[in-house]
Formats: sequence, structure tokens, C-alpha cells
Amino acid sequence: MKPRTNEVVFSLLHVLSWIFFIGLCIEAGVLIFNFLFTFFNPIASHNIYKGLDLSNIYENQFPHYIGLMGFVVVLAVLKAYIFYLVVQICLKLNLVKPFDCKIAKLIEKLSFEAMAIAVLSFIAHLYTEHFIPDGFEVSDVENYWDDGAAFLMMAAILLVISHVFRRGIALQNENDLTV
Amino acid sequence: MPIIVNLDVMMAKRKMSLNELSDKVGLTLSNLSILKTGKAKAIRFSTLESICKVLACQPGDIIAYVPEGTKILYP
Repeated sequence: MKPRTNEVVFSLLHVLSWIFFIGLCIEAGVLIFNFLFTFFNPIASHNIYKGLDLSNIYENQFPHYIGLMGFVVVLAVLKAYIFYLVVQICLKLNLVKPFDCKIAKLIEKLSFEAMAIAVLSFIAHLYTEHFIPDGFEVSDVENYWDDGAAFLMMAAILLVISHVFRRGIALQNENDLTV
Repeated sequence: MPIIVNLDVMMAKRKMSLNELSDKVGLTLSNLSILKTGKAKAIRFSTLESICKVLACQPGDIIAYVPEGTKILYP
């Protein structure tokens, strides 16, 4: 790819990552607010966010409601944080000299964050499958953690990239100190 | 590192300043400084050739192998 094309694609990615970050922040904020709001106004549990109805479980199994909403909120916050890290990478990445320790650390952090989301999604899935008594409708809430496998794959790829990046830093340092 | 750079010794022998050497060799001052202070990790043959040409010396006059733990006594 030509350097000019690279810059355009990179700028586009930067803008997109900001849009995703702001969107996910809003989603996480709304979920937290609505979750807390349902404590004072139980009717809100009929439509917590985008038609998510946990009123039945709220009325009959309140601790499980807190557990489910806890998973939903934590996952939403983690997803927003992942995009915060992507934005940070876009801000700090220098395309002329890309191999930087800060970027390597951010990529590694991103990988661990994706891994955390994958593990948490898996735990949340097990929780809904085994601990929620039969008869409660939880299919809506499953949408919030059905992408765990994708995050696991993303974590593995990012981990490999971060290791390659560290090798790149070593090579760049060596190149800088070659006269 | 057991490889030491004696560039400053050769420069002193030829009474040449870093600026002058930089101009004649075509290396930047920062790169020459990296080489002189022993921070360099590698040296290109082309760079070595230019330095040897300008200072009229052999590569062995610029770089030397000194086993670790050896005390270097400068006159």
C-alpha cells in the first residue's frame, strides 16, 4: 500500500474507533443508569435497554437479576474500554516509526482485555444456562455475551501481534544503533 | 561488551574534531557520537571504510576486542 493510502485508511480507522468508543460509552452509561434506576422503579425492568425485558426475573429472582445485569454492565464497560485502547493506539501510533514500547504495551493490554471479555462471556453463558431456574426468559440477555468466541480469537491474534511487535521494537532499536 | 571503539584515540592522533570527521565521512554527528561513546550495536562496512579512509588507519585501530574483566590502561 502507498504511504498516502495508508494515511487515509489509518485516519478513517481513527475516526471509526472514536465513533465506536463514544457509542459503546453511551450504551454502557445507559445500561448502568437503567440498572440503577430499576432499583427505584421496578417497571423500568420491562424495557431496560433496546427491549431487554427482565421483569419476570426481577420480580421472582432478584439476586439473579442483579447477577445478570452485573454481567451485562461489566461486559459493556469492558467493550467500551477496548475501544478506548484502540483510540489510544491510533493517537500514539507513528506510521514512520511504528515500533514503540507504548504501542506494544497497549496491544498487549488490548489482548488481555479481549481475553477478559471472552472469559467473562463464557462465565455469563454458563451462569444463564445452569443457575437461572427454568421458566425464565433469558434469551434477550444472551445477545450481550454470544460473541465470546470472537473475542477469544481476537485475544489470541492480538497476543501474537504484540509478540511480533516486541521483536520489531528490538530490531528497530538495533537499526537505530547501527552506524 | 568486549568490543571497544577507539575512535576518540584515532581522532586525537590525527588531531581531528568530531565535526570535521562528520563532514568528511558523511555521517551525522549523532551517529558518530553513538559510535564514539560505544553505544552502537553494529557498524556497517561502508561506514568503517569511510572512517578508515579519512583517518588513514586500519579497522583494528578503530575497534578492538578486549576480554571482559581486562583493565584498560590509557597512557
